[in-house]
Amino acid sequence: MQLKMYAYKCTCCGELHHPKHYACRKCGARSFEEIDLEGEATVVTYTKVYNLPEGYMKPYLSFGIVKFDNGLTVSGQIEAENLKTGMKVKTSVGVIKEGVGKDYYGFIFRPVDE
Amino acid sequence: MREVGIAGVGHTKFGKWTEGTFVDMLSKAAVEALDDAGIRTVKGHGVDQVFVASMGSGMINRQSGVASALVDTLNLRPAMAETIENGPASGASAVKLGYMAIASGMCNCVLVVGGEMMRVVSGWEGTDFVATMLHPEAEYNYGLTLPAFAGMFTRLYMEKYGVTERDLSIVSVKNHENAVHNPVAHIHVVPSLYAIADDEDAHVINPYVAEPLRMYHVCPVSDGAAAVVLCAMDQADRFAKKPVKIAGIGQATDTHSVAEREVPTDLLAVRLAAQRAYDMAGLKPQDIDVAELHDAFQILEVAESEEVGFFEKGQGHIAARNGETRIGGKIPINTSGGLKAKGHPLGATGVSQIVELVRQLRGEAGGRQVQDAKTGLAVNFGGFGNNVVATILAREEE
Repeated sequence: MQLKMYAYKCTCCGELHHPKHYACRKCGARSFEEIDLEGEATVVTYTKVYNLPEGYMKPYLSFGIVKFDNGLTVSGQIEAENLKTGMKVKTSVGVIKEGVGKDYYGFIFRPVDE
Repeated sequence: MREVGIAGVGHTKFGKWTEGTFVDMLSKAAVEALDDAGIRTVKGHGVDQVFVASMGSGMINRQSGVASALVDTLNLRPAMAETIENGPASGASAVKLGYMAIASGMCNCVLVVGGEMMRVVSGWEGTDFVATMLHPEAEYNYGLTLPAFAGMFTRLYMEKYGVTERDLSIVSVKNHENAVHNPVAHIHVVPSLYAIADDEDAHVINPYVAEPLRMYHVCPVSDGAAAVVLCAMDQADRFAKKPVKIAGIGQATDTHSVAEREVPTDLLAVRLAAQRAYDMAGLKPQDIDVAELHDAFQILEVAESEEVGFFEKGQGHIAARNGETRIGGKIPINTSGGLKAKGHPLGATGVSQIVELVRQLRGEAGGRQVQDAKTGLAVNFGGFGNNVVATILAREEE
């Protein structure tokens, strides 16, 4: 079970990455340290999808790309109605997919005022 | 470098394949291309190499090693054979590798066949299959899909450039109108713009798939195969028809995780692939007479028409509104019907685009013919734009 999500910080130049890379995009160095990726973020764009892939029992799900204050942008699920670009969301880590004998964890964003 | 051309083309009717196995479908397109080129499949046939483009035959059809199977089915042994996988850009990648094989001098004649048989699985499984090309941890596991990214991209484009849902419907109707004149297109019914965009009940027949994208803004799921015979231009007289020259090929990659892109409305791999193809061909965007752009989602036709230099960034939808991308307009786009109406069997699409351009440049496009087309551009878009191949064909003057 994974209840934390991480940014991968280049130990040489400090550049942040998510997801994991094996060479820094800025300086080319090979080693990274894990930094907690949490807190508030801003919705860059979003969608509500009605034709989910096999493995999801819901009629629809909302997804978004959000930007953290540290500049990193990531994809995740969003649990909110009346989404708007530019709105603030808070980060949580939860089950994003129920697999056979294994759950998958990832970002689930919710409005800050909930 | 040695010049390479296209001597023959073949194409199955896209839609639902009911005449047998995956290799049967590939064979049908291949035989048509071989016949078109005038190649007899007996000893001394002269086909040195076969490339098959398919994203998922191993996953959804439970068959691997399809290129080896196809060579034998066609009795083209002992030709070399490989299967090429580059997601939805597999087709153009296979054409590129065929080009490289001939340009290098290693081969004189290469058969390239692209195909996908997707309608053997449910829509849910099919959506999952296509989504496997996304980043496994940062995207796929979330339930994110290609339509999801297209929806998010469309929203950004709408907010930044003023593109409307109606604009996407205009592009869709234009491609459906073109497909009526293409016998191998999946869909031969034209939706009315009023019914899918303007009527108060439009949302009933044109519901959201991935907001703000609606059903008529998204390509269907299709089976199909397309084939081309590539040849060395210095051996052009071996073939039944005068080959159409491959004037330029460009390819570029972008971040796997879409969220990592610096400017989320840019399709940098499209821009760079097209630029490389123009440079190789010694041509500019305004030299292109006809284009096949990868409109898996209608917003992509708009964005790609800008990235390849036909229109300024943010102006593609205005050009579509003004009819500039219709047959007879400034630059006709997706005369075949595009992915929207011709269909999008993933591995077939890149090859199918080349087939359409060859037909246009030969003057064989019937009711969808672009008058005196001499140059054509195809953009085959893999992933959500993380691997893009652009190809330019040119008809040589008599």
